[in-house]
Amino acid sequence: MSGLMGYIRLEMIRTVRDGGYVIFGIAMPVVMYLVFTNLGLAPGDRHYAAVFTMVSMAAYGALGGAFNNGTGIAEDRAAGWLRQLRLTPLTPAQVVTGKVVTGVAGVVPSIAAVLLTGALVNHVTLAPGQWLSIVGLLWAGTIPFSLLGLGNGYRLTGQTAAMANVATLLSLSIIGGLWVPTTGFPGWLRAISGWTPSNSYASLSWHIAFGEAPTLREVAILCGWLVAFGLYAVYGYRRAARTA
Amino acid sequence: MDSNAVSLTSVTKNFGPVRAVDGLTLAIPRGRTVALLGPNGAGKSTTIGMLLGLVPPDSGHVSLFGHDPERAVRLGEVGAMPQEGGLIPRVTVGELLSFVGGTYAAPLPLGQVLALAQIADLPDRRVDKLSGGQAQRVRFAMALIGDPELIVLDEPTAALDVEARREFWAGMRGLASKGKTILFSTHYLDEADEQADRVVVINRGRVVADGTSAEIKRVVALTTVSVTAGGEVAWLGRLPGVRRLEVRGDRVRLRSSDPDATVMALAEAGAVRNLEVTPADLEDAFVALTAKETV
Repeated sequence: MSGLMGYIRLEMIRTVRDGGYVIFGIAMPVVMYLVFTNLGLAPGDRHYAAVFTMVSMAAYGALGGAFNNGTGIAEDRAAGWLRQLRLTPLTPAQVVTGKVVTGVAGVVPSIAAVLLTGALVNHVTLAPGQWLSIVGLLWAGTIPFSLLGLGNGYRLTGQTAAMANVATLLSLSIIGGLWVPTTGFPGWLRAISGWTPSNSYASLSWHIAFGEAPTLREVAILCGWLVAFGLYAVYGYRRAARTA
Repeated sequence: MDSNAVSLTSVTKNFGPVRAVDGLTLAIPRGRTVALLGPNGAGKSTTIGMLLGLVPPDSGHVSLFGHDPERAVRLGEVGAMPQEGGLIPRVTVGELLSFVGGTYAAPLPLGQVLALAQIADLPDRRVDKLSGGQAQRVRFAMALIGDPELIVLDEPTAALDVEARREFWAGMRGLASKGKTILFSTHYLDEADEQADRVVVINRGRVVADGTSAEIKRVVALTTVSVTAGGEVAWLGRLPGVRRLEVRGDRVRLRSSDPDATVMALAEAGAVRNLEVTPADLEDAFVALTAKETV
């Protein structure tokens, strides 16, 4: 068991020292949040914008953390690290567990940084139940994206995986309405956006933030993508295991 | 308890149409230092991959200390250094080694491993800031820190300079004297000759010779007896023990399986002029063995 704890600690150290994670996962969402809300670039009145964009940017940061974890897998594979781990007494299940725990824990600072900025700087006030629900939904909702990032990480080599993950992160964030609300989109793009996992993911928390209930449609779409990305990750892992 | 640290029985591995390992059988008793010697592409790394459980054999059986390889690795009986890779960025040497040690039940103290691997000055250095030789020593330290019974090293000295190689082997002899079983692959003949108490020569995925380096030399290589001779020299090739005759200017080199008899015959014929007798080296044996296979 101490082996698994040691592995998680090692992966945490690596994550914290990763400039890409700190920039894309924590600093950029916070900066963008402050810029959008204080320069009047966000929609609605000041309070509406502070709440709406807080969820958008927390979601964007969480996705950044989730994809970054997948990119790490490709780097590990290229560096022969996965093979080195197989030569230690750690079991494959412990290795996967360690990576999942690190990935899941890694999105927490992203979410926390933006929500804290909302509460402390932009004076967002929500009921405790709303805060808890938003944190929980933003956190659990990253699982499909982690799987997509892992799939890319297993299937592609280091550099390509990093580029694929950044490209996927940006397109899902933009089309999903995390940067600019979809209300300004042309009709056809808004229709596409409604089917993206990123829009459904953020919508769950937008609803909660404005005191509404999430819709079944959003849950169903996100679950659909969860299955699709899960299959993709399994496919990528099998391919990686064959060629490793 | 199985007395063999390593046992491979009729192991075969194909990669597509290429037969990398071809019915290889090898048993290594505990406490021995064995060199796996062969040219590039001989099947050394594939053999090591199979005995570490990284590459599944197509047929045949592999066991380490009587367990299948994955179980032996999980029990901490094995420490291995693959030919390359295994280092990750953004951690220090000390952090990396402490983690690897922590996965074993009874690891060596960090300080002892740093000293063994000659990296006592590097524990706080980031792994991505190491030179090639330093990185190689850190990889070596990862193989040692769990204090395993069997240490497997794939081309361990490839990135090391002469001085570092000498220090490396001094450390290995220390481990061997503690009863550890060591298997290393190399294409440096002198290394196999000096460091191993048994040399297994493989070529085209098969064992082509197996014994002490002295035995291998005796079996396949010939002592060279050279003399200065002029005129017609073909008769020298018919002297006792002579297998082959080479003429280089006025020097005649006789490859002999019985150098004593060859020299006596030369003396009787009055042909001893600037006599020179050179014992076979492992390189000759190696060339003879691997060439024989490719004909």
